Order: sequence, then C-alpha cells, then structure tokens
Amino acid sequence: MNRDIEEHKGFQKRIFILGLGKAVLSSLIIGKLYYLQILNKSKFGKLSEDNRTKIKILHPERGIIFDKNNKRIAENRIDYQLSLLKEKKNLVTREIIKLQKILNITEDDFFQLNKNLKRKTLDDFITIKKNLTWEELETFEYFSHQFPFMSITKEKVRSYENNYAFSHVVGYVGYDSSVKRKKNLPDLKIGKTGIEKIYDSILVGKEGWQKIESNSSGTIVRKLDNLKSTSGENLQTYLNSDIQEYNYDLIKKMNGSMVLIDCYTGGVISMISSPSFDINEFSYGIKNDNWKVYQSDPHKPLLNKSISGLYAPGSTFKLIVALFVLQNNFSLTQKYFCSGSTELGNHKFHCWKRKGHGYVDLRQAIKESCDCFFYNLAKDINIDELAKMAKKFSMGNKTKIDLPNESSGLMPTVQWKKKNKNDSWHLGETYNAVIGQGFTLSTPLQLAIMTARIASGKIIYPKIKYDPNTQPNFSDLDIDKNSLNFVRDSMFGVVNEYKGTAFSSRLKSKKYKMAGKTGTSQVRRISLAEREVGVLENKELPYKLRDHSIFSGFAPFKDPQLAIAIILEHEGSGSKVAAPMARDILDNSLKILNT
Amino acid sequence: MQEIVYKFKNLNWTLVMSVLFLSLIGLIMIYSASNAEGMRSTYSHLAKLVFGFTIMLLVALININTWQKYSFLFYLIGIIILIYATFYGFIGKGSRRWINFLGVNIQPSEIMKIFLIIGLAKFFDERKIEGLRDYLFLLIPIIMIAIPFLIILNQPDLGTSIILLFLGAVVFFIVGINYKFFMFCGIIFFFSSPIVWNLLHEYQKQRLLTFFDPYKDPLGTGYHIIQSEIAIGSGGFFGKGWLRGTQSHLDFLPEKKTDFIFSMLGEEFGFLGTLSVIGLFILICIIGYLMVSSIEKSFFSKVVGIAIITNFFISGAINMAMVMGLTPVVGIPLPLVSYGGSSMVTYFFGFGLLLSIELSHKIHKEDNLVNLPFFRQ
Repeated sequence: MNRDIEEHKGFQKRIFILGLGKAVLSSLIIGKLYYLQILNKSKFGKLSEDNRTKIKILHPERGIIFDKNNKRIAENRIDYQLSLLKEKKNLVTREIIKLQKILNITEDDFFQLNKNLKRKTLDDFITIKKNLTWEELETFEYFSHQFPFMSITKEKVRSYENNYAFSHVVGYVGYDSSVKRKKNLPDLKIGKTGIEKIYDSILVGKEGWQKIESNSSGTIVRKLDNLKSTSGENLQTYLNSDIQEYNYDLIKKMNGSMVLIDCYTGGVISMISSPSFDINEFSYGIKNDNWKVYQSDPHKPLLNKSISGLYAPGSTFKLIVALFVLQNNFSLTQKYFCSGSTELGNHKFHCWKRKGHGYVDLRQAIKESCDCFFYNLAKDINIDELAKMAKKFSMGNKTKIDLPNESSGLMPTVQWKKKNKNDSWHLGETYNAVIGQGFTLSTPLQLAIMTARIASGKIIYPKIKYDPNTQPNFSDLDIDKNSLNFVRDSMFGVVNEYKGTAFSSRLKSKKYKMAGKTGTSQVRRISLAEREVGVLENKELPYKLRDHSIFSGFAPFKDPQLAIAIILEHEGSGSKVAAPMARDILDNSLKILNT
Repeated sequence: MQEIVYKFKNLNWTLVMSVLFLSLIGLIMIYSASNAEGMRSTYSHLAKLVFGFTIMLLVALININTWQKYSFLFYLIGIIILIYATFYGFIGKGSRRWINFLGVNIQPSEIMKIFLIIGLAKFFDERKIEGLRDYLFLLIPIIMIAIPFLIILNQPDLGTSIILLFLGAVVFFIVGINYKFFMFCGIIFFFSSPIVWNLLHEYQKQRLLTFFDPYKDPLGTGYHIIQSEIAIGSGGFFGKGWLRGTQSHLDFLPEKKTDFIFSMLGEEFGFLGTLSVIGLFILICIIGYLMVSSIEKSFFSKVVGIAIITNFFISGAINMAMVMGLTPVVGIPLPLVSYGGSSMVTYFFGFGLLLSIELSHKIHKEDNLVNLPFFRQ
C-alpha cells in the first residue's frame, strides 16, 4: 500500500512536469501571436495589402492643340501595349521566349524593355511592347491564356494630323529625363520642344491610378478603387492649318524659314522651318539610328530656324536706318550720288548695282535698295544710337514669343565690340551695319515683328496661344507718324513701282496691295580680285557660299493685316526667290482669311 | 439497455461539448477555406465530423478493460496496416501513404498513434521498471516505437513520425523511467544528428534551413511561412472577418484547408479567434487531467489518458508554432480543425477512450460501494 502511494506521488510529479511543459509551450505560442497580431498588426497589415493590391498608373491624356479654326493639330490616338506584372520580373526571360513564338519582338523592343526593367516606379506593371497592331493584338488575345501575368493596356499616344508642316512650332513629346519626375512617372511623356514644351503644364494633365486586386498567381480578381487621371487642358492657337500647309508645300524643298503674323494681335498664323522632320516618329519614340541621322544633318532639320536661326538681315535693315535718320530730322529731298561704290580710307564699299544708281533720295534708296546712299548716311551715325532704334523693333532683343529656345539675335554696339572682340568700333563697321551686314544678326521672327511694328505703328508682340477672352492691347511706337508713313510708302514703292526691287512680285489681286523690302544676306566676303574680274553670279557659286534670300513685308498696304518674313538659305537675292514666295503666301492667306 | 442509458447520462459532457465546439470552429473555417470551390469540402468535412463523433461515443461506451485486453492485438493490426500501406498504399499530397478501405481513403499512420499508446501503456502496466535489471526490458517498448516510427518516416511523413516518437517518449516519462535514461537518449541523439541529417530528404533539409531564416529565399522555400505570418499578423485583434481574409482567399496562404488553417483563423478572426482556440485546447487539456486524476487504481488508464491528452495538445501546439514560424514546417494538421478524416477520427477515437476510462472507473467505484456490507439496504 505504501509503495502504491509513493508510486502515485511519482506519477503526479511527472504529470505536473508534463503540464508545466505544456504551459510553457502555450505561453510561447500566445506570446508569438501577441507579437504578430497586436504589436506588428500594421506591418503585416500593410504587407498583406501589398500582396493583394497592385497599382496601375493611369497616364493622363494630353490636351489637344487646335488651330484658330478649331482644327486639330495635335491629338491623341489609342496605343495598345503589352505589359507584365512587375512581381513576375524574374520570369521575364522565360515569358519573352514564350512570347516570341507568337509575336515579333524587335531589338528596339528589347532595348526599351531592358530600360523598363531597371526602372523603379510606383507602377506594378512593366511595359513589354508598345504599338501593337491589330493582328498582333488578335494573336495575343488568342494565346492570352498562356500568359497569365501579362495584360493588354490602352494608352493614349500623341499623334499629329500633319506630321511635317507643324513639326517645329508644335514640337514633339518624349520621356522626361529629369530625375525628380522619372521616379514616379517614367512612362509619362512631356513636351520636349515647341508649344508642347512651353505649355506642357497646361497640356499634361494629372495622372491617376487604378488599384487592382490580384491573387497569388497574379491573375486579376477585380478592380478596386481608383483615381481617374485628369486630362490636360486643350489649347487653341493663332495658327491656321490651311495656310501653314500651303506655306509648307512652298518652302519644303528649300532650306529656310518663314513667319506670318497677324498685325492686330501679334498672333502667329504660320511658322515654318525647313527642312522639317516626321514629328510622329519622335512622339512614338524615335529609333536611335534615325535620331543620329537628324542630328548630323547639315541642314539642321531639328532647329526651329524661325526663332533660333540667325542671319544677317541684309537690306531689310535699311528700314530701321531710314527711320533713325528721319527721327534726326533728315531731309527727304537730300540726295547722294551712287557710282556703284564709295571709298572710306583705302577701303572700297560697293553697291549691289555695280553701275550705280546715280542721284537718289531716301525713298529711291529704299525702293531700289541703294547701298551707297546708306554708306553716306553711315558717316554721321552713332552705332549705339542706331542700336537703340533697332531694339524698338526687337532687333537684338527677344520678341518674347511663347516658344522655347528663342534667340535674341545681335545688334552690335561699341560696348559689345569692346567686350566680345576686344577692339574699338570702326566707322567701316557702321558702313556694314547700315546695310544689315557685318555683326548684325536676326531671326526671321524678329524681321516679321519689325515689319509688323512698322506696318501697325504699335509695339506688337508675337503670340502662339489664342485666348478668345482677352484682346491684346499694344501701345504705340514712340516714333513720328510721318516717318513711319514715309517708310511704309517706300516699302510700297519696292513692290509696286517700276524699278522697285520686288516689282515683279507685286500682288496680282486688284483688291490688295503689298508692301515690303527685299534683302540679300551675304554669306561670304567678296574679294577685291573678284570684283575686278566681275562678281560671280550666285548660281556659279558652291551652295554653301551662295547668298540668303530675304524678304519682309506686309499686306494689305492700306490697313495692314499680315506681316511676313522669309529667309531662304543660299537661294540668292531676295527679289528673285523670297519676294515671289511672299507674294504667293500673302495672296493665298488673305484669300483664306477674308472669305 | 439500461446500462447504456446510465453510461450516457454519466458521460463527461463538458469534454464532449468542448470537443464538439472545437470541431465546429473547424467546420466554419473549412467552409471559408473552400468557399471558392463550392460546398463539397464542407459537406465532406461535416460527414467525417458526424462519423468521428459517433465513433467517440461508441468507444466511450465500451469498457476500458476490453481495450486494455486487446491492446497488443490492436498494435499488431496497426503495424500490419502500415506495412500493407507501404507496399499497396498510394501517395497523396506528395508524401503520405494512404490505403483505400471500403471506398474511404484512410491514413493508417494517424490511427497508429492511438494503437502505440495503448500498446505501450499495456506493456508498462504489466511490467514495472524499477531496478537496473529491468532496464533491459525497455528494449521491447523501444522496438515497439521504432517499428512504426521507421515505417512512417519512410513514407515519408516526418511530422507524424516525430509525433509518434514524442508520444513514446511521453509514455516513457510518465511511467517513471529514470531521468538518466532521457539524458542518455539525448546524448545519443546529439551525436547521431549528423547521420540523421544525411538521411533526411532534400526537401526536409530545405524546410529545416528555411525555418532558421525564411527571409533568405522569400519567393522560394520561405514563401509559405512568410505568407502565413502575414496572414496571422494582418488579422490584428478582431480579424478581417469571416470569408474576408485576403491572404487566404487570394491564395497567398498555402494549404489553407489543412496545415495552415490556423493562419486563416488568425487572419479572419484575429487575436480574439486564435486566443479562443488556444483557450479551448487548454480547457480540453485541463478537463482531461481532471478526468485522469480521479482514477486511483488502473495504471494503464492513467497512462493512456495522459498520453491521449498530450497527443492532442502537442499536435495542436506544433501546428500553431509551425504556422507562426516557431518550428520548422512539418506537415501536422491542427487537431479537430484541419480538413482530413483520418486525423479527425483518430482524435475522436482518443477522446472516446478518455471518456471510456472515466466512465469505466466511475462504474467500478460504484460497484465496489454497492458491494460493501453497510451500503446494502
């Protein structure tokens, strides 16, 4: 009996120890549960949320760019893209090999894909192939069950109605390379040039997102809440598609540019730079090789020459000089004799007309573009004072157009020369300056603005964006009305009177008259030896040495509506090429605008 | 008939109800886990539950002496079925051997746990180990453990075989084997562990390694345990709600019907739910202890009772610890909750024995009282 009790005690002791073990185990488990469910609830809650939800960034649709008549210049088309769930990134090689059996994946796609794979974004999807054709789309849909981690998405891609005529002014879109934006929205395209760039903040819109619930294998179960993307605002411009396209057809075979401006509003009706480039190619994503071709082209197709191209203004600058001397009480009856050249020291300055113009007054000098007359004026001209006058016409100043990368041109002064050439100003340089040669440089837009200001008598500023609610109000130029009228009248003479340099380019219409000024921008220095054997005709010269053909003008003469500037590179004298083209453009434009 | 009614009335209904309640929680979780695929699994589980519950009551009504008498026979039958399964069974879920008995798939390794317990209990009931000389006889129970252990390990079913080994050790412990013996075994295990390591299958090694650092390979072998921890942790205090667990319903959680059902419970019912289930386990354990402690005489009954409770509790604890990353992943289902007939019926069978033990001794005591001269009227 005693043994039984002892045995029983021993048994109880063992059971107690066993129970103790269980208690320890229980508290361990409860402790861990407390750790998981109470202490780390938020951490695991977030992990579980990340597991379940995927984010798809919804790119905003870019605002549409319209011309003045609400014709679409830049719009968006639907692009079908194939994307892969980012979680399955490590399977990408296997998936691509599978995909290659049904779709053609080009080297460019691979290049893009590699870039996409390296990027860190909020987006839980990686784009594999863009620009799927209908056939590719159908093929993929047919085999889609084999690709549970891939999906087709619709993206809006910038598309341009006319892919050459508007290239420079409208600009193109591309991926942002700035660090800040790239992190979050690497697939968002932003404006790179032209209107697309300067009004990017208006056009771009705001991105949204779509939360998607997916299961462990990446199959989408349902769509959760979303934030819709906000489309960018539309933009209306002063541009006129019909005029732009007509003008582009005229100019596209040459190198050069033109600007057509509304003389009341400063609105840019047409702006062309030639040669142009395929703007759609850029917006869809240009291939590297093609980009290099554009980059290395000597005719600089990517440069908007209308606002960034710099040329000597040539004889068109004589209008400024005329206004300058008239402001300083120059007599209209004052005549100078032109023998074909003028001497200054031992240097001979030539008139374009080797035989000379004989006795000419200011009006004739403008009309026939006599250089010698202006050389005579140059003797008494202070270059700094002339520069002040030129700047009133935006020569040497930015026109403040709403486009990126505008050049300010160059209007030389004594100080400028000291600073940049480390030399004092010579009178000979004033001789060059008064006929728009030498240091002076201007953009076609500056010429157009100069002409518009002369034509209207107001300080016109150019504008691309059209806002129907505000009428631009420009103040008057502080220049004597009579002087302006005289210059306008002289410009009328250039085009409409016998012996005028652009007489052959007068408007055929009886309704309107055009006024203007030709110019020839000399690219080379004509040597003395050459003068003696006779100056070579432009056609005989190698292309690169030929003169630029310039014309600036306005129409109709009474109540000016349009101002134009054309610069055609290496096309010879202004009267031969630029002036007739200006006539055609103005003729057509007035017809379109006034019907 | 009267006897049956009497026994029925005297059943420990607290235990019966607790067990039933736990298995109903299991049913609710199975419904949620198989929600997507329809009601098939739920009905199947319900049928097994009803079957198991009936088994429990039937076993309870049979006197414990009958079980004690045929203990060795049951053990032998268990071994034979295991050997049969090794040669003629089929493999389900990668590792476990199953046999088809009258159209029902049975996992014999589960029921072997009970047969081993009663076999060992009978051995120690008949032969007390006291002197040093007696320790030679320990060879017999060691072999009794080793045979099913090796067969099941070879299936291969690491989880069940470990439980089996552990149960053997528990029986050794409670029958009062000297502590030195356990120390001796520990030393042997320590020195043989490199050999055991080499004997393990590659995936088993992988699981053990993963246990020590699941985040080393989060998408590979560590995936399950990480997803399970996320599921439990994201449940918080109140849980995401029944049928609303995202980890489980979107298939991030593996094996949610079977081994990882506790994680799903944690996700959908939170700390409240997990604590309740652990509480239920502890409650059943305490009831079991009280039942056993009321027995004075039968050594067999005491050992069987304690071993059965320990089997139930330890299996549950290992399962919970496993899904929380406290122990390596060794496929052990959560008793009475996880989907799977063999395991559930085995636990019901065990509780049946526990009920039978208490009932038999109650009657025995009353019989004795009645036989006393002064008690007669």
